Parts: sequence; structure tokens; C-alpha cells
Amino acid sequence: MCVNEFCVPRTLKMKKKEIEEVFGGILENEQDVSAGMAAIRTLLNVLERDTSETVQELDSNLQAAVDAMKNTDYPVTAVASGCELFLRFITLAKLDTKTFGECKSIMLHRGQLFLKKLMEARGKVAKLASSFIVDGSRVLTHSKSRVVLHGMKEAARANKRFEVYITMSSPDNSGVEMRRLLEEENIPCTVILDSAIGYVMEQVDMVMVGAEGVVESGGIINKVGSYTMAVCAREMKKPFYVLTESFKFVRLYPLNQRDLPNEFKYTSSKLGRDLSKEHPLVDYTPPSYITLLFTDLGILTPSAVSDELIKLYL
Amino acid sequence: MAKNSNKTEENRNKFINDIKQGKVWGSYDIAFNTVNLLKDVIVNGDWQTAQELMVLITAEGRKLTRSLPMQASVGNMVRRVLKIIREEYVATQQNKQEDVDAQESLHKIVTSEGDVVDDYSKLLPDLRSSIMEHIGEFEMELETSADNIAQQARQHIHSNEIIMTLGKSASVEAFLKKAATERKFEVIVAECAPFCRGHELAVSLGKSKIETTVIADSAIFAIMSRVNKVIIGTHTVMANGGLRAVCGSHIVALAAKHYSVPVIVLAPMYKLSPQYLCSYDQDAFNSFVSPEGVLKYSDGAILSKVHVYNPVFDYVPPELVTLFISNTGGHAPSYVYRLLSELYHPDDHDL
Repeated sequence: MCVNEFCVPRTLKMKKKEIEEVFGGILENEQDVSAGMAAIRTLLNVLERDTSETVQELDSNLQAAVDAMKNTDYPVTAVASGCELFLRFITLAKLDTKTFGECKSIMLHRGQLFLKKLMEARGKVAKLASSFIVDGSRVLTHSKSRVVLHGMKEAARANKRFEVYITMSSPDNSGVEMRRLLEEENIPCTVILDSAIGYVMEQVDMVMVGAEGVVESGGIINKVGSYTMAVCAREMKKPFYVLTESFKFVRLYPLNQRDLPNEFKYTSSKLGRDLSKEHPLVDYTPPSYITLLFTDLGILTPSAVSDELIKLYL
Repeated sequence: MAKNSNKTEENRNKFINDIKQGKVWGSYDIAFNTVNLLKDVIVNGDWQTAQELMVLITAEGRKLTRSLPMQASVGNMVRRVLKIIREEYVATQQNKQEDVDAQESLHKIVTSEGDVVDDYSKLLPDLRSSIMEHIGEFEMELETSADNIAQQARQHIHSNEIIMTLGKSASVEAFLKKAATERKFEVIVAECAPFCRGHELAVSLGKSKIETTVIADSAIFAIMSRVNKVIIGTHTVMANGGLRAVCGSHIVALAAKHYSVPVIVLAPMYKLSPQYLCSYDQDAFNSFVSPEGVLKYSDGAILSKVHVYNPVFDYVPPELVTLFISNTGGHAPSYVYRLLSELYHPDDHDL
């Protein structure tokens, strides 16, 4: 997966830095953009600026860009799924056109359309999910998720009164940031310790989490602790809802935590070290723990996710 | 024209009143009458294009569903008719039968060449007749659905089995009677207090020479260990594969789970609803009827001291259901979403 520094041509090496800058720039300047979306935008950017003259060259440039993004310290799961979709389908145009110029313009056009649809996705998910938040609900959520935030905003704007519990979510304490964002919307919320999931579970009506990736079985890959929450919710018979955009569907079929690729679990800077001493950043929640997934394709049961992916990669 | 619309309104109000007063009863009759009402709109309504017709039907459907929020089959029929209109519009326009998959899918998102939004506004001269023809076929499907379900009885009921059911469902009754023509088996009927419609079923089964036992609802768990199969009907199948069924169904399903007894639910296609259960307080999920059956008015003094409720429905979560049998065959609860996407257009989910 890692690009060998020595065999990369000079021009690409320059690019690699540039790509990292574009990608990192989007993520830092625009708080509302998720890593997967930023990756797709970066790829579009690369496609636009690309000067290559053959399809193969373009292909390898894009692939190099993907590798460069995977090597940054941002969550890699969504980047991987977004890029896979992009490379496979947007650049699929190369098969049925005559000249390279034509082909590239079609790719760009498709890419832009794709991006436009993705931008609409979060609103759709939020709208679906907000109907499940009713007056007086107490919702438990994990870490920070933009889709969940969006869904809750939507519900708050519909004048629903509800309360949110957020896990602190170590090691980056992103739950605190989530609280700040929710409080901006005047949604009453409480940050709890990760170890207090069991403690608050009896008080809540439902669990709503986002996802970094949705795998073929219908399970999800998400910030570490999601699995704990799902197991706990199942034991206490609380519905466990996942809010996610469909571009996060990945072709992966993990059976357990160990099956998750290491680059998903650890940031690239830690990959060289002794991993047994490092904390994983994500975990895998099997589909049997998930009640429903809210996606821009509609409300899906976990088994419907497989159906979607089969349709896509047939 | 004004005369026609008056007549439609009159028919609609009569239909609504009949249901409210319990004159029209049973989801088949309700579904059938809804389709007739909608047919009336199609034949007599003032419309030129499919778009105008869809607006008319949606408006009619909205009035009906607002007045009858508990009758999911009304809404389902409106959605089916809308879907038929959409299909016929596309088919007539292109002059060929083509499968229109309107469902959003990831595949469409990544491969689409921009949205081609068809607003159904083209004038098509043959549209009215082709829609009516299609609805005719659909009515046929409705009529034969109970029979189609009963035909599958042989595959599910075997000799000397003990079957438990609850209350009275027309589909279950037909199903058991069909099976009884070939096999000998025993039926245990939970009476389903306070309406005790199980008694009616037991009498009817007894007349068909099926060995039938009536039990009190409180005996469901005790008897379950001896039961081979649970076969029940339902009022509505929710979008996640859960049931909105007669009160007491959850008890039966949980007892069955405890003893690992398969639960088979007979549900013709018109009972499939795109509704989800968001919370138990949800509007239009349950209805509470007169508590007379729970505590008699003649009990006098105590009535003012206690609260008495008589809910009609139970929600049964999908994990407690083993199999749905519909007129098109058997389906697992996890497959319901797929059936829904085939039956209804996603734009019609909210009327």
C-alpha cells in the first residue's frame, strides 16, 4: 500500500506533497466536510489539473493520489471507500470513448455530478433520521459525527424537544467538540465517560451513531467504542441506529476485529511501530447489532446493504 | 364535472363512515373498496395527463388516510395505484414494457449521466384505458391473494402437527381449512380476550372437522412447549419486517421464541406498509377502544377509581418472525424492504 519513495518519478513526488496539502487544506478549512468527501474532491482536483496524455498515466496518477491521502493522519476508512468508488466508476468512462480528451471531460463531468449527489446525501439522511427522534426522546451518540449532528439539528428545527448523551470518546475527546456543536443549536446535551455507556444505557431511548465505513455484511466500521455501545444497546433492548451516506459502503467482509486492515485501525505514522502496543482507532460492529441504517438511499436494514453493494459491483 | 366530484366525495364519506362504524371490516374489504374509490377518480376525474391524475389520486389518498390513520391498507392501495399510473405512463410513452426501477441506488449515483426528471406531463391518449386495464389485473391479484396463500398450506403444515394461532384471521382460517383437506393436525386457538374472536375461529374450524382446542391467553406460554408451529395473521407488515398485529401477538411470538417454535405470518401483499415504528407513542400506531370488555360498566363503583385501557394492536419486532407467507410465496422479514421497493414508488411513501 505504501508508496516506495525511491521508485516514484520526480514529478509525482512533487505532486504527493501537493495532494496532501489540498486534502489537508479542505479538511482543516471546512469543518463540515468529512474525510471521504474531501478525498473525492481532491481526486477531482487532481483530475482537473492532470496533464497526462494517456489513460494509463492518468490512472497511475490518481492511484498515487489515493495512496498519498491514505498516508496522511486522517481517518482512512472513508477515504478508501470514497476513492474506490471514484476510481472504479467515474474513471470507468475510459472504456467507451474515442479520444483521451473526450474521455477526460466525461470523467470530470461524471465526477462533478457524483460530488453533487454526495453533497445532497447528508441532508437526506438527516431528514430520515430526524423523524425517529420524537418529543421527549433521549438519544445516546458516540464521538463526533457530522451526519448525526445534522440529523439532530434537523429534529431541533422541527421543534422537537429531546436530550442527547455524548460519549467523551478518547483518545481524541471528540465528544467534547460534538457537545459544543450541539449546544450551538441549543440542544440539551451531556458528555459522559466512555466507561459510562452501560450506566446511561437504561436512561436512553435509542442510540444513533455515524459510520466511517459500512461493510458488505451490513456491519459498520466506526470510532472505537461503537461496538461496545452496540453490544450494550442490544443487551438493554434499545434500538441502535446508524446514520451514514452511501458513499461509505466498502467492499470488505470482516468477520472479527482482527480482520480489519491495519491502515484502517491505526494512523499511518504509527504503522511502522509495534502495533500490539497501539490503540486501535476504529472497531467493527457486526450487522446483528444494528437495527436500521439511515442512508441517502432510504432506510435500510443491514441485509439491504449487501443488496446495494451487489447491485453496484455486479 | 361538479356532479361527478360530488359523487366521489359522497362515496368517500360513506366508505369512511362504514369503516368507522365497523360495517366494512377486514383489510381485504377495505383494500378492495379503496381501489374502487380510486377507480372512480380515474374514470370520472377531471384530468388530462398522468401528472394531473397523480395529484388527484394523492389528494384523495391523503383525505382517506387522514380520516382512517389506522387502516394501513388504504394508504397501501393508494400507493399501489400511483405506482400503476407511473408504470403505465412510462410503458405507453415508450410503447414498450420496461422495468422502471425508481429506487435510489448507489449504482445509479455513480453511473448516472445527470438526472432525467420525467414529470409525467405528456399527453397520452391511451393512458386512461391502459391504467384501467392494469388496475383490473391488480384487482384480480387482490381477489386471488387469500386463495394463493391458502394454496401454500400443504408445504407448511404437516401431519400430526400442533399449530397455535390467536384470535381470528380470515387468512389463517382459510389456510388451516385448506391444509385440513389433506392432512390431520391439531389446532390450539388462543381466545384473544377481550374480544374473544378466537372462539369464532374455533367454532368454524370445528365445523370443518379440525381438532381444535381453545385456551385462555394466559395459558399461551404453558402450552407453547407442545406446539410445533405458530401461524398468525397480521393487520400490517411494517417496513422493517415487524408486525402491527392484534394485541397478544407479541406474547405469542415471545413464547414461541423461548421454545424456538417457528412463527409464520400470513400477510397478503396489500398489508405491506412503508411505515416504520419510530416510538411506541407514535400517532396512528395503536388505537384504544372501549374498555367495556376489560371491565364491565355494570361493575359500577370501581370504574371511577381505576384506569382501564383496551389497546387493539401489538408491535412484534422482526426478529421474532420466522417467515412471511404472501400471495407470491414465502419471504424472510429481512426481505420485506425489497418487496416494498418493488411495490411502491419511493416518492409516494409520504402521501
